Amino acid sequence: MKTIPDKDILLFKSCLVNVEYPGVESSACYIFDKVGVEYYVDKRQSCCTGLGHYYDLFDQLSTTALAARNFHIAAKTNHKNIVTLCATCYAILKKTVKILNYNEDARNKVNTILDESGLPEMEYTQDDMDPSKNIFHIAEILFNKRDEISKYITVDLSEFKIATHHACHYCKVHYNDTIEGVREPNLMDGIVNAMGIDTIGWYDHKRVTCGAGFRQRFTNKEISLAVTSEKLEVLEDKNVEILLHMCPNCQMQFDRYQPYIEKKLGKKFNIFHLNITQYIALAMGADPYSVLGIQTHTVPIEPLLKRLKQKYDLKEDNRLKTLKSV
Amino acid sequence: MKTIKLDKNPLKLVKDVLNDLKASPDLGIYKCVQCGMCASICPGASQTEYDPRDMIRRVLENDETIIDDETIWDCFSCYTCNSICPSGNNASEVNQILRQMSIEKGEGAQKIKDFCAYGDSFMEMGIGSIPNEFFNVMVKDVGNKYMDLKVNIEDIRTDLGLGNYILPKESTDEIEAILDNSGFKVRLEKIKRCKK
Ligand code: SF4
Ligand code: SF4
Ligand code: SF4
Ligand code: SF4
Repeated sequence: MKTIPDKDILLFKSCLVNVEYPGVESSACYIFDKVGVEYYVDKRQSCCTGLGHYYDLFDQLSTTALAARNFHIAAKTNHKNIVTLCATCYAILKKTVKILNYNEDARNKVNTILDESGLPEMEYTQDDMDPSKNIFHIAEILFNKRDEISKYITVDLSEFKIATHHACHYCKVHYNDTIEGVREPNLMDGIVNAMGIDTIGWYDHKRVTCGAGFRQRFTNKEISLAVTSEKLEVLEDKNVEILLHMCPNCQMQFDRYQPYIEKKLGKKFNIFHLNITQYIALAMGADPYSVLGIQTHTVPIEPLLKRLKQKYDLKEDNRLKTLKSV
Repeated sequence: MKTIKLDKNPLKLVKDVLNDLKASPDLGIYKCVQCGMCASICPGASQTEYDPRDMIRRVLENDETIIDDETIWDCFSCYTCNSICPSGNNASEVNQILRQMSIEKGEGAQKIKDFCAYGDSFMEMGIGSIPNEFFNVMVKDVGNKYMDLKVNIEDIRTDLGLGNYILPKESTDEIEAILDNSGFKVRLEKIKRCKK
């Protein structure tokens, strides 16, 4: 069993969390503050190149050089345990650490690039980072703290039928480092169970990808959404009401496109999409707008909140009304 | 009748794949037993003509036409093949390497040309963004609320207690320098210039 840290954490900003579901980051901070996880966010940290990497736009050397810069920031600020909010960053960062450690030639090239860029202090020395001991996904930290989390639950969410969508880039890329199952992933189920709530556990398609497929969502929309629809249909058959996510990219694929798919298929999926951090924060009593950020969701979360005993000041039809509209 | 062709360098392609920076040191391509497990769970294979098992076979048989084969662009990079392969092979990784070879040759560049704006935005802000054409399609598919969200993102982030996500100038300068010296800038310009 790998050791999972609860301090010296660099909470790695994610480009998709930033602009699609920023509430994932604020929920993460909310939970960390409650259960006493020590973390830090650095405004100099760049994106990992993830999407560009899988669009095949970025070459491996450039991605690795940018990672070395982020590793330097982590080390310099004494927050060497990088915790990602996005599954793609998790896999990309792990891979770049591995390359920097085993491939001397690549390491030298990266160091030359950094030197030529006037950043010699950022040079990477072999084993500066450990791919298994310094790179984590937030779901692992939450799993490790599940008993602590369970002590802070104030809102009863037990009436919903819940399923989990474990991000491929967490489970299937560096599978030797994956905890709680690769072919039968149960990492998020384990967190929810510790909160005293059942999930549906295994279902057909549990390990199937969201269908985003990076370029596919844009260049091959029909096949991309066909994969997404199949998974939604399986979940609908099981009467699932909440699908939990651990990656903003999968969350986007399901949340942004569910209404579109409904229109195409002429049927309704009554499935809410929440990130595991948003789900836990909600159970801990966090505000849906100022912490969870449900105003950025496409499938409205308000109908879910209405069913709770807890009363919220809902801004249903004017979620963005106080703000500008175009 | 079958003719036997003698190949001077019968393992050239597989060696090139294994020597690529992207290839993990334990990439088990030689160990592939052509069991087809990868193809059986592959979303690319279920939706298109793409077949990861066959792609691996062609690499092992030094069939370089696989580099120009359109089907390699139908992979989802979901790594399901990787997680299920009994031989420690990783069809996803091999696919990504073949795509890079195709880009190097020029053909593949056309396939990714539309994504260049992501690279520009990365150099400018230290963060990538969805290229405009694709973004407009998303607004059409998802609805105008999606546009509202984008317009108001700064205010929403402030409400959530989050800071500015655009990197300070000092950092974007560093990133631009790194991407210049890594060859990415030149690569990006080359991709932009390729003809469709
Ligand atoms: S991996 Fe995630 S956060 Fe990193 S660049 Fe990508 S989508 Fe953005
Ligand atoms: S489910 Fe989709 S977006 Fe999520 S990690 Fe897998 S491929 Fe990426
Ligand atoms: S790559 Fe693996 S799963 Fe695919 S055919 Fe070869 S041995 Fe089987
Ligand atoms: S990553 Fe593997 S399983 Fe996924 S689409 Fe590509 S070849 Fe198929």
